[in-house]
Amino acid sequence: MKISLVGDAAITKSNSWRVRYARMWRESPRSFRIGFMILLFWVVVAIVGPFLAPFGPTQIGTGIPLSGASWEHPFGIDQLGRDVFSRVIHGAHIVLLLSISATLCGLVIGSFLGLLSGYIGGWLDEIIMRVSEAMISIPFLILAMLIVAVAGPQWSGNPILVIVAVAIVYIPRTTRLARAASLDIITKDYITIARLRGEPSLSVVRREMLPNATGVLLVEFATRAGFAPVLIGSLGFLGFGMRPPTPEWGLMISEYRELIFLSPVTLAGPGISLATLVVGLNLCTEGLARMLGRSGEGVSA
Amino acid sequence: MLILRMLLSRVLLSIVTLFIVSLIIFSMVELLPGDVVSRMHGRMVTDEQRAIIRAALNLDTPALERYLRWLGQIVRLDFGTTLALNRPINEVLGPKISNTLILAALSFVLYLPMSLIPASIQAIRRDGVVDQGISVVTLILLSTPDFLLATLLLLTFVVFFPLLPAMSIVDHVSTFWEWVRALILPAVTLSLVMSVYAIRFLRDGLIEVLDSDYIRMAELNGLSRRTILWRHALPNALIPTLNVTALNVAYLMGGVVIVEKVVGFPGFGSLTIDAMLMLDVPLIEATVLIAASVYIVANLLADIGAILLNPRLRTMTASK
Repeated sequence: MKISLVGDAAITKSNSWRVRYARMWRESPRSFRIGFMILLFWVVVAIVGPFLAPFGPTQIGTGIPLSGASWEHPFGIDQLGRDVFSRVIHGAHIVLLLSISATLCGLVIGSFLGLLSGYIGGWLDEIIMRVSEAMISIPFLILAMLIVAVAGPQWSGNPILVIVAVAIVYIPRTTRLARAASLDIITKDYITIARLRGEPSLSVVRREMLPNATGVLLVEFATRAGFAPVLIGSLGFLGFGMRPPTPEWGLMISEYRELIFLSPVTLAGPGISLATLVVGLNLCTEGLARMLGRSGEGVSA
Repeated sequence: MLILRMLLSRVLLSIVTLFIVSLIIFSMVELLPGDVVSRMHGRMVTDEQRAIIRAALNLDTPALERYLRWLGQIVRLDFGTTLALNRPINEVLGPKISNTLILAALSFVLYLPMSLIPASIQAIRRDGVVDQGISVVTLILLSTPDFLLATLLLLTFVVFFPLLPAMSIVDHVSTFWEWVRALILPAVTLSLVMSVYAIRFLRDGLIEVLDSDYIRMAELNGLSRRTILWRHALPNALIPTLNVTALNVAYLMGGVVIVEKVVGFPGFGSLTIDAMLMLDVPLIEATVLIAASVYIVANLLADIGAILLNPRLRTMTASK
C-alpha cells in the first residue's frame, strides 16, 4: 500500500498523513472509490441506523399487514405487521458483524496455518495441505450446512455457530493461499538470516513472514469478506443460519419469498441491501487488488 | 512416459483426497462431543428410542470399526440405510440424483452459449461501450446471491409474467412438457450464475490470446476476424476456462441445494437439506461424500484435460 511520495518530503508530519491518504484516494481506481462509498454507506447505516429507524426490528402493528409500499413504509409491511424498512436497517449491523468476524477468524487461523505449513515443510506441510484440499472438496455451502447440522438443535440460530461455520469454510482456502505466498517468501534472504539467528519458527512466521504476506492476505480478506454476506444469507435462507425474528437479510428473503404473490415489495428491502453490500465489497476488492498489483513491489519486498 | 506418470500421480492424489474427505465427514458426524442420539432428539428421548437408534447406527461398536465398516460399504457403492425412512439409501438417492443430473445437464447446455457469446463480444469490442456494459451487468449478477437471483427470476416469470409454475414438482408420471416447464427456472438460474464467472475469465483469456504474436501473424496473413476468433483464439482461451468450468461443476453441487429449495424441485439438493434437517446420519454422510466426489472428479478431469491439451504443462510438476 506504500505509494511513493516523491517531492513531498517538505510537508510537515501532521499534514503528510492527510496528503498521503488524499493522494491514495485520488490515485485509486474508480471502481474502488465507488465500492468504498457503498461500503461506507452500509457501515454508517449499521452504526446509526438502529437509532434512526422509524420502528423496531420486531415491532408489530406498524400498519396494515401486506399493504404494499408507501412513504411511511418504503419496503412495505410484512405478514406480521412489521415495517420491512426498519428491519432492513436493523439487520445491517448483524450482517456486517457476522461477516467481518467470520472472515477475520478464518483469515487469522488460515494464514497462520498456511505460513507455518510453508515455513516448516515436511510431513506437517503435507498433512495440513492434504486436509485443506479435502475440506475444499466439500462444496462450501454443504460444508457450512454440515457444521450447523452436526452442532445440533441446541446451537440452532446461535450467531457464534454461524461465525464458526463460515470460518471453517474459509480456513482451508486461506491456508492454501497463505502457503502459496509463503513459498515465495521463504526464499528471501531475511528469512534465512532470521533462521540462522536461531529464531523459533513461530516467531519467524509472525515477525518476518506475516508482514511480508500482508498484501496478498489483504486482498484475500476483501474477497472473503465480500462472499461472507452471501454465505451467511444462504445459510439463513435455507434455515441453517440465524433464526426468526432476527432481521438477517438472507433469512428475511426466505421469509418474504412466501409473500411473492401477496406483497412482492417486501423482497425489495433485503434483496437490494444484500446485493448493494456485496457489489460494494466486490468493487473494493477489485480496486484493492489492482492498487496492490500496481505497487506490488512495495508489498512483497 | 512422463505424462503417464503425471496422470497416474494426479489420480492417486484424488483418491487420497477422497479418503481424507471420508475421514473428515465421519469424524464430524460421529465423533463430536456428546453422542449422536441426544444431538438428534435433544433431551426428550426415551431409553427405548435411544436403544433403537444406537442399534441402527451400531453405536456400541468402537468408532474405528464403524468407520472401516462404512468405508468397506462405500467401496462397494452401498451407502447403508437411512434412519428416517428405513430404506436403503441407494434406493432413495437414485431417482433424486437422476433428477438433478437432468437439471445439471440442461444448465450446462445453456451455460455454454451464455458464457461464450458475451465473452467473445467483449473481447472483440474491447473497452468499448458494449464491453463495459456487459462488465457492469456481470459484476451486478456476480454480486447477486444465487438464492436472491432465483427468487427474483421466480418473481418475474411466475408473479409478474405468469408463464412458469411456482413449484417445480415433478415425478415419474409428469409429462415431457411438465418437465420442461419445471426445469426452465432452476436451469436458467444455475446457468446464469455459472456463466457470469466464466464470462469474466473467458474475456480476459481471449484478450490475452488476441494480443499474442500468432494472432497478429494470422491477422497479417489476412484471415478474417471471425476465423481468427473461432479457429485460433477460442481454443487457446478454453484451457484457462476449463478450470473455471471445473469450479462451476463444484459450485453446481451447492447451487442445486439453493435452487432446488427455491422451486421445490425433488433432487439431490433437496435431499441434502432434508438429511441435514432431520440429522439422518447415514444419509448426511452419503450426500456430503457424493458432493465432494463430484468436486474431486471434476477437478481431476480438468487437470487431466489441461495436461493433455497443453504441451507446456507436460514438462511441469503435477503439484499446484
